[in-house]
Amino acid sequence: MRKVVIPIGPQHPALKEPECFSVTLSGERIMAFSARLGYNHRGIEKACEERTYVQDVYLTERICGICSHAHSTCFVQAVEEIAGLAVPERAQYIRTIIAELERIHSHLLWLGIAGHEVGFDTLLMYTWRDREVVMDVLAALTGNRVNYGINTIGGVRRNISPDQAKDILKAVDTLEERTKYYMKVATEERTLIERLAGVGTLSHEDAVNLGAVGPTARASGIDRDTRRDDPYAAYGKLSFKVITDNHNDVYGRTLVRCGELMESYNIIRQAIREMPDGPLAVKAPRRIPAGEAFSRYEAPRGEDVHYVKANGTEKPERVKVRAPTLANLQTVEKMLEDGQLADLPIVIAAIDPCFSCTDRSIVVREARKRSRNILKWEDLRSYSVEWYRNNRGLDFSKLNRKMAGRLL
Amino acid sequence: MSIAKKIVTWSRIKSPWVLHFNTGACNACDIEIVAALTPRFDLERFGVQLKGTPRHADVLLCSGPVTRQIKDRLKRIYEQMPEPKFVVAVGTCACSGGVFDGCYNVESGIDAVIPVSAYIPGCPASPKAIIDGIVKLLASIEEKEHGREAR
Amino acid sequence: MEEKLVNLLLEKFPFLAGRVRVQRTRRIFLRVDAERFEEIFVYALHSLQFTILCTITGLDNGGSFGFIYHMAREDGIMLNIETEAPKTAAVIKTVTHYFPCAEIYEREIADLFGVTVEGLLEGTRYPLPDNWPKDEYPLRKDWKAANKKSENNDA
Repeated sequence: MRKVVIPIGPQHPALKEPECFSVTLSGERIMAFSARLGYNHRGIEKACEERTYVQDVYLTERICGICSHAHSTCFVQAVEEIAGLAVPERAQYIRTIIAELERIHSHLLWLGIAGHEVGFDTLLMYTWRDREVVMDVLAALTGNRVNYGINTIGGVRRNISPDQAKDILKAVDTLEERTKYYMKVATEERTLIERLAGVGTLSHEDAVNLGAVGPTARASGIDRDTRRDDPYAAYGKLSFKVITDNHNDVYGRTLVRCGELMESYNIIRQAIREMPDGPLAVKAPRRIPAGEAFSRYEAPRGEDVHYVKANGTEKPERVKVRAPTLANLQTVEKMLEDGQLADLPIVIAAIDPCFSCTDRSIVVREARKRSRNILKWEDLRSYSVEWYRNNRGLDFSKLNRKMAGRLL
Repeated sequence: MSIAKKIVTWSRIKSPWVLHFNTGACNACDIEIVAALTPRFDLERFGVQLKGTPRHADVLLCSGPVTRQIKDRLKRIYEQMPEPKFVVAVGTCACSGGVFDGCYNVESGIDAVIPVSAYIPGCPASPKAIIDGIVKLLASIEEKEHGREAR
Repeated sequence: MEEKLVNLLLEKFPFLAGRVRVQRTRRIFLRVDAERFEEIFVYALHSLQFTILCTITGLDNGGSFGFIYHMAREDGIMLNIETEAPKTAAVIKTVTHYFPCAEIYEREIADLFGVTVEGLLEGTRYPLPDNWPKDEYPLRKDWKAANKKSENNDA
């Protein structure tokens, strides 16, 4: 078998994280797929052991830039459980509001990236423009667009004033309108549906066996959501629906995320209405008494878990983090089985990997010939857009122009 | 300056082509770089175009503390860029390692591996800071080119 | 419900008396020796409906390695089973035949602690890079990042 190797290339404009995937092809069909991970391994678990709890709140936020609040809240919850702290109610509600705002920004981000991966660039521009509404709200509430720093052990650091609450509600109203428009596009636009439906199928059984979490799992009919099953923060007191879908494919995952956006708007409205007055935090000891705790959190990508073990000093004994993408990555192989090469970008993007839209290098092997290519992500994406244009007559350039022509 | 050189300098300053590379970051700076390209901030009105290959790029926008696995790749990408090339370190991690300084598997900042022309601090660097940094870099390129001509 | 589950466990495995505790709602912690781990694990999975494996945590307890298997039920109750293996014989059996998703968690423990997982098939390492030196296990307590830094300077 001939082998051809092209060097790993630069990154693509969308989020990049270096990952290496290896794909074995027979013609157009994918026969085997494997991922080489670990490019982003920074040794955070070890670093957590060498820093104090307060420094770790800051560090865990930076495990991931998109779900930063998820990681810091999950960590702080575990520490508070070990220390036996009773976090004030108002703080729980504020954490919930920020969590849902984060979910909104993450899902809008994903919608844009998904559009970009299929060639629908206008959707990318529209959704990211709308995302700026949420980023403004977050910046006004917390002081930063990303990495909010709102958590402290024992509560939160900032309050939400009545004026800020009004701004949040106005933003939520605007976004709800726009999300309804995206849902209309997702359910009525034939070209988009054809790119997403039937692609990246993951049966219910496979999703259960491979441990899928989050929207990836819910789109395969698994009715699991940590906010409802293992409530934390203020979720135990709020009522919301868990969105599931039975399409088992990327289209299902799109619908689930859009549905979750609508639910997030409801949750935020409820939380603002019912948020009680009160203190923002309780004083936490510097040295956390010996103990252990396991904390779960529903990040935008799925269930995020932290295990913390304390030993009576001011530094933790052990911090273990399992991010949702790790659980979902094991399902990608199954999703790609018997799929087309042209569908690879959107399938990988559909699990919303925390290194989403990264310019990874893909190693493509021809099963029959002895050839081996290493493709840049961007090449693979252009390949997939071209393939669909030539073989299925799906061309997004007209739709892009049409949507761009509408008043922003 | 000869006409050809003038045109080249003008195009380099008026329309720098960038390459974005993540060397193991948490993604926050990368989203902010992408956000800088979206309608609210719109880097493209400055003539900045995002390219997919180092061979076409003038400026390397780098984020993230360099992890061990990515170090060689970063060097190779830098070597593939044609002269003159500029490197912009986006975010505190790229400038100095940030929160991850001292972790195993992480070098401390990009300048440990390749020379850096501009540092944009921030965790993450906001899109406005990124635009500011790039514009300052362009201004300094212009000065340098004109300075060279004066000599 | 947590109490009910604990009682069922103690009925079936009386030697667990004193080693099970309910930390709070939906959180049960138990410790068991390596020899009896599998039967409890299987019982929890098949009879008590702990059908979700969240992750597997590795710990360095000084003279031995600890392994905590975090299992959960659909109603949110979690069972955290801790077992140990001495450092001189750091071997655990794989649970991938019960939970295929455990593969990557076991690889992580093997890579970062230097533990052998019996029964785990060959595969690419995770998460350390390809050029990571042999016999360096970062998450062990006696391993300091300072070692790594000096190595880089020498290189």
